[in-house]
Amino acid sequence: MEPPTGEITRLLAEATRGNREAESQLMTLVYGHLRKLAARQLRRERPDHTLQTTDLVHEAYLRFVPQQEVAWQGRAHFYRVASRLMREILVDYARARQTGKRGAEVEILPVDEVGDAPPRTPSGAGEWDHLIDLDNALKSLGRIEPRQEKVVEMRFFGGLTGDETAEALGVTPRTVRRDWRVARASLYAELSGRSQRVSAMGD
Amino acid sequence: MTPEERARVAELFDAVLDHPEAERAEFLAAACAGNELIRAEVLRLLQAEQDRPHKFLNSSSGPAFPTAALEAAFSPVDGSIGPYRLLQRIGSGGMGEVWLADQTEPVHRRVALKLIKAGMDTGDAVTRFQAERQALALMDHPSIAKVFDAGSTSQGRLYFAMEYITGVPITKYCDLHKMTVPERLELFVQVCEGVQHAHQKAIIHRDLKPSNILVSEVDGKPVPRIIDFGIAKAISQALDREGELTRTGAMLGTPSYMSPEQAGSGGADVDTRTDVYSLGAVLYELLVGVRPLELHNLPPDEIRQRLEKMDTPKPSARLRAPDENSSKTAQDRGCDPPASATLSHQLRGDLDAITLKALEKDRSRRYGSPSDLAADIQRYLRNEPVLAVAPSIAYRARKFVRRYRGALLTAFGFAVVLMVAAVVSVRQSIRANREAATTRAVDDFLQHDLLSQASLATQAGSKAKPDPHLEVRTALDRAAERIEGKFAGQPEVEASIRDTMGQTYLDLGLYPEARKQLEQALDLHRRTLGAKNPRTLETMSLLGRVAEFQGKYPEAEGLLTQALAAQRRVLGPEHPDTLSSTTTLANVYSDEGRYPQAEVLLSETLDVQRRMLGPENADTLHSMNNLANVYYYEGKYAQTEALYSQVLEIRRRKLGPDHPDTLASMDNLAVAYWVGGEYAKAEAVGSQLVEIRRSMQGVENPDTLRSMNNLANVYDAEGKYPQAEALYSRVLEIRRSVLSPEHPETIRSMNNLANAYNNVGKYSQAEALASQTLEISRRVLGPERLDTLASMDNLADSYGPQGKYTQAEALFLQMQAIAGRVLSTENPLTLSFLSDFARMYQRQGKYALAESYAAQVLTGRRHALGPGNPDTMASEADLALAYVSQGNFAAAEPLARQTLDFYQKNDPGNWQRFRAETLLGACRAGEKKHTEAESLLREGYEGMLARKDRIAAPDRYYLDRARDWLARVNRSQNHSGNTSAENRSETP
Repeated sequence: MEPPTGEITRLLAEATRGNREAESQLMTLVYGHLRKLAARQLRRERPDHTLQTTDLVHEAYLRFVPQQEVAWQGRAHFYRVASRLMREILVDYARARQTGKRGAEVEILPVDEVGDAPPRTPSGAGEWDHLIDLDNALKSLGRIEPRQEKVVEMRFFGGLTGDETAEALGVTPRTVRRDWRVARASLYAELSGRSQRVSAMGD
Repeated sequence: MTPEERARVAELFDAVLDHPEAERAEFLAAACAGNELIRAEVLRLLQAEQDRPHKFLNSSSGPAFPTAALEAAFSPVDGSIGPYRLLQRIGSGGMGEVWLADQTEPVHRRVALKLIKAGMDTGDAVTRFQAERQALALMDHPSIAKVFDAGSTSQGRLYFAMEYITGVPITKYCDLHKMTVPERLELFVQVCEGVQHAHQKAIIHRDLKPSNILVSEVDGKPVPRIIDFGIAKAISQALDREGELTRTGAMLGTPSYMSPEQAGSGGADVDTRTDVYSLGAVLYELLVGVRPLELHNLPPDEIRQRLEKMDTPKPSARLRAPDENSSKTAQDRGCDPPASATLSHQLRGDLDAITLKALEKDRSRRYGSPSDLAADIQRYLRNEPVLAVAPSIAYRARKFVRRYRGALLTAFGFAVVLMVAAVVSVRQSIRANREAATTRAVDDFLQHDLLSQASLATQAGSKAKPDPHLEVRTALDRAAERIEGKFAGQPEVEASIRDTMGQTYLDLGLYPEARKQLEQALDLHRRTLGAKNPRTLETMSLLGRVAEFQGKYPEAEGLLTQALAAQRRVLGPEHPDTLSSTTTLANVYSDEGRYPQAEVLLSETLDVQRRMLGPENADTLHSMNNLANVYYYEGKYAQTEALYSQVLEIRRRKLGPDHPDTLASMDNLAVAYWVGGEYAKAEAVGSQLVEIRRSMQGVENPDTLRSMNNLANVYDAEGKYPQAEALYSRVLEIRRSVLSPEHPETIRSMNNLANAYNNVGKYSQAEALASQTLEISRRVLGPERLDTLASMDNLADSYGPQGKYTQAEALFLQMQAIAGRVLSTENPLTLSFLSDFARMYQRQGKYALAESYAAQVLTGRRHALGPGNPDTMASEADLALAYVSQGNFAAAEPLARQTLDFYQKNDPGNWQRFRAETLLGACRAGEKKHTEAESLLREGYEGMLARKDRIAAPDRYYLDRARDWLARVNRSQNHSGNTSAENRSETP
């Protein structure tokens, strides 16, 4: 069931021009695409395999956005939306897991047991919790440095390269590199609990 | 940390990473240069970077997840919540997502399930939700989507099950169907009714916006349904429990539709009127396609700031620039070309006022409830007067056109404004008798006979640019011709149309044409409605105004007195029509020089307006201005300046620095500075004004001419006589051709120019012009009018220096007699005549008489103008001179000394300072202190000589005197002794 690509092109164009309603419709549409794509991709994988979510984003873009019709601003917009969605989906899932772990009955979000997943991935409950922490730290950071939050969102959740991020945000790659470095260190500091809350809470 | 400091930290951290580890400490120490805060922060980041407590971020290619986990994350769709089976995600927003779901029991139906984001504590939230759900269940209205259920999933996600509405946001629906403004309003009224219903159940929506008002069709008719009623409150309560809102200062709701108090209090301090505000914002967007204030992507503090401070532009003003967007907006509302002009004209007045009243920042000034808002809209739809409109809008619309006339001559906007004004005033006047048929007939006429022409004029405007004034006038004239015989059986319609045409001509300054229409309208009104009908009286009052503008003051007074007496009886003293007649009559009194009567009327009006309309209302300000004008004519300068400054301050704040009314206030203040002797300020303000007016309104505009004239007055006062003469002469030339050779304002210009001729020593030209002016002035204005007196003064002043003392004296005596009858003894004009009188006697060698008049003037000026005023100072010099001439040095010296001190301190470069020096020198010479006298006289004489250009020709008499004194002192020093007799025998 391929999506109506004309629709996404139109929404991308309008969202790029600042139409909020189009942006919101775009979110819904991309969400649906991501979900369908994930379902299809994931069915082909074995449960213990790992997958980078950013691959899903790229795949979604290639599959659902007609390349020749979309200007680079449209592409940037797609990635911005998709990165945000990816972050939301993962964090939502992590939160649902957390609540479920506390003993409540799992109803709509059956939590799979993933304890046997390889290390270095957020397999255990602890790692998922960290994802929630990361999300919170990122929100705090965004309140004082909104662009740094975007950079992390697009590079980390959306899988964009530095150059692509720069293009999407309309800044130089150098700025993106600096934002990424500083944001990452700030987030480390925040997450390690050693933070004196200087950079995160700010003035 | 400040943003600058954070930026510096980022920069240094970035740089330090590029250095080898061993060099980092050194690099940092050097780069931070003692800024410990920055260095510590960079070090902290470096430490965190080295520790890398989490592995996620190490890879820039995103996190990797076990596929099983991802599958779970991506598959909530298979789930169900209680009796609801989730089908499809149909929307997402900041607070969560909306799913289409099937309810399986107790009934099978399709619902919209709003799923609030995960991550909330479930315990208390559920309890609170149950309470909320009870409340929401009470709502039962066709315009409100029902809330069936609320609860939480076992994951702690809150949800609402609501009636599933298939529809599109109201704004989009209206645009798609190109709904006209009345159709949109009808639909909007239904929305108001729904909100009102909820309010009666004590439920506030808190997030009304187009996307929460969905329109679908039932039996082919659009029906609005409001969704999410009460949801915002439920969510905010649940969230606030967690303290998130408080902690982050975030706002729930949509900034562009959110009331200032809701934004300001984080939702804590809201009542039903917050929904009235949001409705106003939706209405605004329905009308003009844009939001009242654009607040997207702004930080919360900035949003609050703007909501509280920034003025909301009138909806119609958003269409004034006829660009692509606004004409699309207008076409979406079914308007014919020129669409944006048509739409703007439709919105101006009532709809502007209704919308802005709903959007008042202070909720106590909004409509009290959605049904009040709806009721006013329905009044508009029925062509009844709406509550939101200040009572005198027609008057203000006409004022507006008059003010903008010049500015709009260059743009086709003129036609728009003209039509708006015309239609507003017609609607206003017609509503009074609520004759739907009449309204339609008049609208029809305007549409076909006036508007269609105007739109042609508009389209041709781009090619045939230079004289749109003519185009509009031609359009009016043609329409006027078409009235004849067209409404034989409909005298009321004809009267209404003639009223409108008359007002429009009046706004254009075409007085004879205006009079013709209004006279016929008055006659028709009298016959159909009777002599005491409010409309008859309004037309009579208008005709009075035309007479005033034509300078036919007795006629104007007669009409206005009659209209006013009847209006007071029929409508009451506080009715807008009564007030309007009062103001016009006061203007006539002022024109006629009956200032105390004008002052009484205007003070009364001002009291009523302050009470009824508020202290900053446009009409109140207008009256303040008129009163200040009267004060000015009465010579009450302190009161004048105080009132003008008040008005200017309010207008700058409310209307902006370039608004025509603000400019008018600057004009007035410049005059106040001028009469207060603050010439530099007066010239600065005045020349800026002339510049703006010339470019905005053109040089033939009455306002421009008045500003030019005022500027010339300032030049004159500053002693820039050639500049003054040039400017006066230009103004006169234009007024003669634009007004008429005998118009009162032309007469004033002639007086000013004659005075300027005198000041540059062109006495014979002055004499010719002044006698011509005097003849016209006596005949047209009357023998005892101020302007007539001014003509006499100019004539007398030209006689003096030519040695025609007999004629001069005869004139002065006549003037004195008239001034005694019509002016107070301390009126600046009286004092100025007397001062001229003193100078003439001085020239003639009648020193005792000169002394007596000069002393009288000085006393009067010290009292009326204050001791530091330039005119007061000049009188001191006149009196000192009279004393010196009579050898009374003891009396002269303190005056001369005082004047000298004043100028040395305040204005050492002024030629009058040097005159004071020569006067003091003359006193010293009289006391035989020759050395001191010689140096004072020399310095004074040379100082005056160097500033000869700044000395008015008649005042160069002082220069001659100083030369004489200096020569005489030199002689005395040569053959010393034997000088006292000489000094005493001063001769002219």
